[in-house]
Amino acid sequence: MSEHASRAAVSTATASPTTLMRVALRLLWRDWRGGELRLLLLAMVMAVTSVSGIALFTDRLERALLQESATMLAADRVLSGRQMPPREWLDEAARQGLATAEVQAFASMVFSDQANLLVAAKAVSEAYPLRGDLRVADQPFGAAYTDNAGPARGEVWVESRVLPGLGLDIGDTLYLGDGEFVVSRVLVQEPDRQQGGMMDNAGPRVLMNLDDVPATNIIQPGSRVTYRYLFAGELVVLDVFADWVREQSDGGFRLRDVRDESQEVSDALARGESFLLLGSLFAVLLAGIAIALTARRYSERHFDYAAILKTLGCTSNQISAIYFGILLSLLLIAVVVGSVLGWLVHEGILLLLQSVIPIALPEASFTPFWLGALTAFICLFAFAMPPLLALKHTSPLRVLRKDLVAAPLSTSLPYIFGIAGALVLILWYSQDVLISVILVGAVAGVALVLSAMSYLLLRTGSAAGMRAGSAWMLAMSAVRRRRRQSVLQVLVFSLTIMSLLTLALLRTDLINDWQAQLPEDTPNHFMMNISDSQVAGMQSFLQDNEVDANPFYPMVAAGLLTVNGAPAPHPWDDDDDETGRSTMTERAGAEQPDDATSDATTETAADGSARPQRVENRQVTWTAQLPPDNDVVAGSWWGDDSRPGRVSVEQDYAERIGVSLGDELVFRVNEQEITAVVDNMRTVRWDNMQPNFFFIFSPGTLDHLGATYLSTLLLEGEDKLLLNDLLRQYPTIVVLEVDALIEQIQSIIAQVSSAIELIAALVLVAGALVLLSCVNATLDERFRENAILRTLGAGRKLIMTSLLIEFAFIGLLAGVIATIGAELSLYYLQSEVFQQTFSLHYWVWIAGPLAGTVIIATLGFTATRKVVNSSPLAVLRQLSA
Amino acid sequence: MTAMIEARHLAKQVATSEGQLVILKDISLSIDAAEAVAIVGVSGSGKSTLLGLMAGLDSASAGDMILDGQNLSTMDEEERAQLRGRSVGFVFQSFQLLPSLTALENVMLPIELKNDRDARRKAATLLQRVGLESRLQHYPNQLSGGEQQRVAIARAFASEAKILFADEPTGNLDAATGAKVIDLLFSLNAEFGTTLVLVTHDDRLAQRCGRLVRLVAGEITEDSVVDGVGDGVGDAAHV
Repeated sequence: MSEHASRAAVSTATASPTTLMRVALRLLWRDWRGGELRLLLLAMVMAVTSVSGIALFTDRLERALLQESATMLAADRVLSGRQMPPREWLDEAARQGLATAEVQAFASMVFSDQANLLVAAKAVSEAYPLRGDLRVADQPFGAAYTDNAGPARGEVWVESRVLPGLGLDIGDTLYLGDGEFVVSRVLVQEPDRQQGGMMDNAGPRVLMNLDDVPATNIIQPGSRVTYRYLFAGELVVLDVFADWVREQSDGGFRLRDVRDESQEVSDALARGESFLLLGSLFAVLLAGIAIALTARRYSERHFDYAAILKTLGCTSNQISAIYFGILLSLLLIAVVVGSVLGWLVHEGILLLLQSVIPIALPEASFTPFWLGALTAFICLFAFAMPPLLALKHTSPLRVLRKDLVAAPLSTSLPYIFGIAGALVLILWYSQDVLISVILVGAVAGVALVLSAMSYLLLRTGSAAGMRAGSAWMLAMSAVRRRRRQSVLQVLVFSLTIMSLLTLALLRTDLINDWQAQLPEDTPNHFMMNISDSQVAGMQSFLQDNEVDANPFYPMVAAGLLTVNGAPAPHPWDDDDDETGRSTMTERAGAEQPDDATSDATTETAADGSARPQRVENRQVTWTAQLPPDNDVVAGSWWGDDSRPGRVSVEQDYAERIGVSLGDELVFRVNEQEITAVVDNMRTVRWDNMQPNFFFIFSPGTLDHLGATYLSTLLLEGEDKLLLNDLLRQYPTIVVLEVDALIEQIQSIIAQVSSAIELIAALVLVAGALVLLSCVNATLDERFRENAILRTLGAGRKLIMTSLLIEFAFIGLLAGVIATIGAELSLYYLQSEVFQQTFSLHYWVWIAGPLAGTVIIATLGFTATRKVVNSSPLAVLRQLSA
Repeated sequence: MTAMIEARHLAKQVATSEGQLVILKDISLSIDAAEAVAIVGVSGSGKSTLLGLMAGLDSASAGDMILDGQNLSTMDEEERAQLRGRSVGFVFQSFQLLPSLTALENVMLPIELKNDRDARRKAATLLQRVGLESRLQHYPNQLSGGEQQRVAIARAFASEAKILFADEPTGNLDAATGAKVIDLLFSLNAEFGTTLVLVTHDDRLAQRCGRLVRLVAGEITEDSVVDGVGDGVGDAAHV
């Protein structure tokens, strides 16, 4: 027969894909019944469940929060200005398909027959609010209900406080300018109450119909009015419209979306999301390790299968096809089961969080399920495929020579695949190349260091013999004899415990930090525009009414002109990401409702030409006492024995404007130039809803420049009525109410904290899976060894004790290493990712090693106990078969 | 009669830490279709290596191995696998059944791999032929050693192989069971007209084959016709 003919003959009658798939399914089914695939499938289901569950939850929550945030604006976008924007802009928005509404806000005195009151009046068009709800009641402090129609013409809705303030009841008449209005409802809540600035916070709210404004004649040329156009609609259309507005605008108007709003809310959300991301990533990576370990064991047990199949005529490719079929079927099952479980998990979280998620969640999108499936796919191909595909290299000769390790698994290939897979996963989740590379590099580095450490620790004494005399010696010799495996076990255990410890500590620190950020007694009112002469009187007023007084900070607007003689740079000029931090203090003190003020001055450049310099006015203060939540990080605080002419600068701000200790700064304050030397730098906790300042001067520097004072108050429920008396006595002061904002942040923190707990629990399950797979990986060898030991006369007790000691020892090592690793990674995460201050967690240094010892000993002992419980003869017979 | 198996100057050596270890040297051997040959020798004489080479489970260091008219030396592992699937059946000392498949499924496997839709019926018939009709749904660990080997024999004949390689088929069985298994093997071999190559160190078993090839330290020292058995191919010849 010619060579060609023989090859042609060979290629006939090979197994079809259907046949191979049938064989694969049969093997899958049998292996499943035999329990071999349970851990592998469980690990894959775990990966899909955690990803789809968390993604479903965050997907819906994020969309809900975005919607809720939109309600803070009562719209998706708001255009505001001190002039009325051109009406064509509203028409253009409507033409593009956006919903529009119009708002005018101004401070005004209102009158009744008995009294008068300064109020924050707001006139709204009929479509208002575009997002969120107006909540009203028929009585002061009565049951609230939703009414989005707004006040009809000739009617006003007022906040509860207005009624006692003016001595009115529902149905009475109120005078505003030349207009006469019937008070028809009590206004309980309006979505965009916290727009900041004086116009909205000058006093209690009076809401009126926009069409009534002309008749009041209250708005005259020169009146201080904030005009707002509200827009809502599809994101794409909004963006197109925003671009159009920017082209038209000469800079006198500002277009904002929710992201420009409350820094405090977005900070809390961003940190929560980082944690959820990190958590689900940990869960997936741990599941990945479990998949790799179980797949490796599965493939080792299938060397014989592959060899036998080859003697029956299966080619290498057909063997690959069979095991590929098995993996693909597993993937399918894992995706279906994992998606269902993921759905249940997310429903469970929602059920748990029902009370803190007061808003109706939008329907889930399909994306989370794709995420889960794709994660499983990547996990499978990166972690499970390499060992299973190595089966095709099994030599058929293995059927004759059992000792032949025919297809030694390439030691580097699975790792390369695993690391590549992990990198893809992290990259995909974080969408950040640098973070991904750093994280994978760090994990690889940690793994390397951990291996070296555990190898060195285990390298005590020789590995000769079994030293079967005592349980202790037997255990130690077992650890050393399987040094490679022991190192791998310590490595996997310590990485797992490390992940769990890191996450647990991070969770505790994060939640503690948040609770510290906004404690129960966080002040919910800012009082400002208080004159020097009013301070003492107000302090005694508060004391008489048993309200805790907080410090009164003098406040004055100061513009930085020069640093060491050179023009001061604009701090946010070079940074597109930073929209300019506008603190509660800035918002409270700013004349403009929107931002820290800026104005232009003219300075002469070196060439003699005059060019305008933009000078940013900041609200500054002076004090001898370092305010709470401020920490001096360079120089030292002046205390009571300060000299005038010193200034303390917030650290980040100092960096941005390139200022260091000893620099001489010139400010313009109320048309006067003030020189001060930088004495120290501070860090400031911006998110604590307290007065915070970029610049604090030493007493005596600005005292003569006519400051007003700023303070905070905590008033809840009916105590708020005190404000009426206070405002009656001090009609010129301004009170800013921030309860809604605080409540919103607290509710977000509560939601995110609960989600964090759940993630931690999921990671715990993934970790347990890894530990179990790792113990199982050495089960066959243990069976053989212990069966031999027992046939040689070793007692059950000796073997059981030695197993316990062996696992306890490995657990202890893993616990110690994990503790070190956890503290190191916490240091990195807290300082670089979560912007927290790191401190050592002393209790972990005891709890970590202890937990490692107890958990690993229990788990290992439970899993391997059957080694002792089955008859040695049965074991030996099974292993030799 | 054409040779079903032909070894030409076959050699096998492996590299060890102490240099090259010669396992087989210059083996030349020809086995005709339907012939039954016993390869005997002490442990380490190279019998199993020779079987591996003849069955295409391993490749030779030198020489040619012709199986069913095809030169294994010029084929890669994929082609050898296909040839095995088409022409070769095996019976091993340690049975080599897939533990997670039932007796019936083990026998079905080679038939299915040939895309034969009638696998279940054929496998059941073969199991009936080896006396295991009541054990079809049993897993290997639910069967005795003798029963497992009978399943292995049924599987070997299931692929309608032209050549059957048996490696110490009674090595794991007691004498009585071993004898029954061997009876079965020989009777099926005669029935299917298969070429049988049987590796054993049991001279009594070897006597049941028509021809005996003895290996000593990797060389053929005897290639003889066994009296009273076989078809009289070649006279007793000492090499």
